[in-house]
Amino acid sequence: MEIIPAIRDGTTVLSISGRIDTVTAPVLEQVINREIEGGHRKVLLDFSAVSYISSGGLRVLLATAKKLKAPGDRFGLCCLSAEVLKILRLAGFTSIFSIYPSEGEARAGW
Amino acid sequence: MPAGNDQLITISWQQVPGTDGASIYPIVRKIDTLSSNSYLIATPDAIILIDPGGLPEQAEQLASVIGEIRQEQDRPVIVFLTHAHIDHFAGCQGVPAFAHPETVIFAAHETGAGILGRGDCGFTQADLLGQKVVPMKIGLPLLTADRSGRPGVPVDLRLANGARVSVTDDRIGTGGVVLSRERIVFGPGPALEILHTPGHSPDSICLRLGGLLFIGDILFAANPGVAGMRGWDQAALIRSLDGILALLSGGGVSYVCPGHGRVIPLDDAIRVLSAVRTDALALANIAELNRDRAVQTAAFAEDCMEQVNELFTVMVGRLSYVSYVMEELGESDVAGRMESLINSDTIDELLKAFSDFAEEHHRHNRVPVHLALKAAQVVMKLERAFRKDELSPIIDPTLVQRAGRLLSDYTTMMRGFSPPGELSGCDIIALVEALVTGLSVSSCSDEEVFNSADDDAAFMQILLARIGTRPLLEDVAFSMEPMQGPLMASIDRDHFTDVLTYILEDLVGTGADHITITVQRDGRNGVLTVSGKAGLLPTAEQRKTFRFLQGLCNRAGGSLEYKGDKEIQQFMITIGLM
Repeated sequence: MEIIPAIRDGTTVLSISGRIDTVTAPVLEQVINREIEGGHRKVLLDFSAVSYISSGGLRVLLATAKKLKAPGDRFGLCCLSAEVLKILRLAGFTSIFSIYPSEGEARAGW
Repeated sequence: MPAGNDQLITISWQQVPGTDGASIYPIVRKIDTLSSNSYLIATPDAIILIDPGGLPEQAEQLASVIGEIRQEQDRPVIVFLTHAHIDHFAGCQGVPAFAHPETVIFAAHETGAGILGRGDCGFTQADLLGQKVVPMKIGLPLLTADRSGRPGVPVDLRLANGARVSVTDDRIGTGGVVLSRERIVFGPGPALEILHTPGHSPDSICLRLGGLLFIGDILFAANPGVAGMRGWDQAALIRSLDGILALLSGGGVSYVCPGHGRVIPLDDAIRVLSAVRTDALALANIAELNRDRAVQTAAFAEDCMEQVNELFTVMVGRLSYVSYVMEELGESDVAGRMESLINSDTIDELLKAFSDFAEEHHRHNRVPVHLALKAAQVVMKLERAFRKDELSPIIDPTLVQRAGRLLSDYTTMMRGFSPPGELSGCDIIALVEALVTGLSVSSCSDEEVFNSADDDAAFMQILLARIGTRPLLEDVAFSMEPMQGPLMASIDRDHFTDVLTYILEDLVGTGADHITITVQRDGRNGVLTVSGKAGLLPTAEQRKTFRFLQGLCNRAGGSLEYKGDKEIQQFMITIGLM
């Protein structure tokens, strides 16, 4: 898994590629936590190159949603592949955080 | 035995219990299909090697240790094979130290001697493992028909390496529990007993020296992926297990040395072998595990694991969601209890282990049986990692049931049975209507919520179920074209319901906002069509999922066709009507 961070219009965009599994989920969590601790409280995860998410990955998403729920905070995902979208929908996660078709649509809404 | 340890220490010389002057150098490997354990024994009269294993490096290591002890005291070397499976002997085939019959004599059951003499790739399992066997000469065939005709009469043999041995044939046991035995004396030192224990293979033997009993692979003979190998025999296996259990109960043996895995103290061995016997009793009429079945099982393994991966991830996700909401509501204890219902870290690790294994498997183009065996190992562990009964009332029970059925179907197939299908007469229209209703409304009605308000425990249970269960068709426009029922067909209800649920999940999960189901009569068949507009899964995933769904549909008693383009996906299930 590779994570490329960028800040655009005040939003931290983490572009993730590869599999979010039992080994890589903690790495993702560390990167997200570092951003939040650094005061970046608008976090968008670009999933366009994520082919798989494990339950460990789902827990990282939940933990992040929990940390970013103060007024003004934003947390969302964009550009999900069909496989990952299916998992999030069936697990009931689509009601916890926002899912956007593209990065532009996410930032426009924030 | 080393003090303070009930195990033989691997790669170290130690005394053989119950003997005067015999010592053992065990190579105990982590269990795999590549190579067996090896047990090298030095007595004052001979050097006995039990199973050189399947790997050349293991055979070379043994050759080096044998070389050292021969320098100290030269003695004849005899290599005994507990049976002629390739992982127990192939390692020595390219190692020069084992290539000279005038130095090293091989000993195997008479049947195994024939198998090895002709280089049989079927009975040695070489075909199954994609390997070749070089024919090899067995200088000392054991438990021969000749000698069994003269029980109790010692037969003196001079072997090609100059060794003189005396072999006496007899039987041990009483009533129906009798094992053929040979007692081999190499000199004044301890004698070696050979017992014929067929079942895992026709030529399987156990060897006893002092307080150690070497049992080959009988411990694994009822395992999925092992039972049904060429030469496997259920009735013989049960008789052999009875004989070994009687022997162990009779005293004198303190440790059992298996062909794979750690050495086992007597009491544990009796318990484990009794469990093997119970498992073996359930294995009547299983199919032979040959290359074709291994290919078929490996394909099923991959398809199955793909779905298992998805189901378990969704189940853990649902439970994490329930736990998250409970935490938000200040119910930390309940949140913690939710997380404990499923061992998600173990599940993730198991699924990753299989995924990594499968990737390596395809990269190196390995033989299918390895993938099938790995899946069996993962499936067994997954079954222990989630508590079905406690999960069902909280998260969608169809998820839990399908996961359970999938694991069970795989184990059944791996064991050599056809995946179960219990066909019975059923009105398809009523079944589909009931399924769709179940997937459209919450598992707990508002009335149930109100009624539980006075009882804390009942309210919590209903609250958890409300949060953990999300009706699949809740946010989807759904239509079912009406048809006059009944439409009776012979189907397996569980598998039919499963296949339909997987299809609906696939459509909803990939974004279908409108789904239609039609059921039509087409001559003597009923055709059920599920269509929806959806974002398509990538082609490779789609192919695997479709292959899985086709298999499931066949087990349900029907057949499945798929038509899809960018606009619409259409699944058609055809079932013969009664």
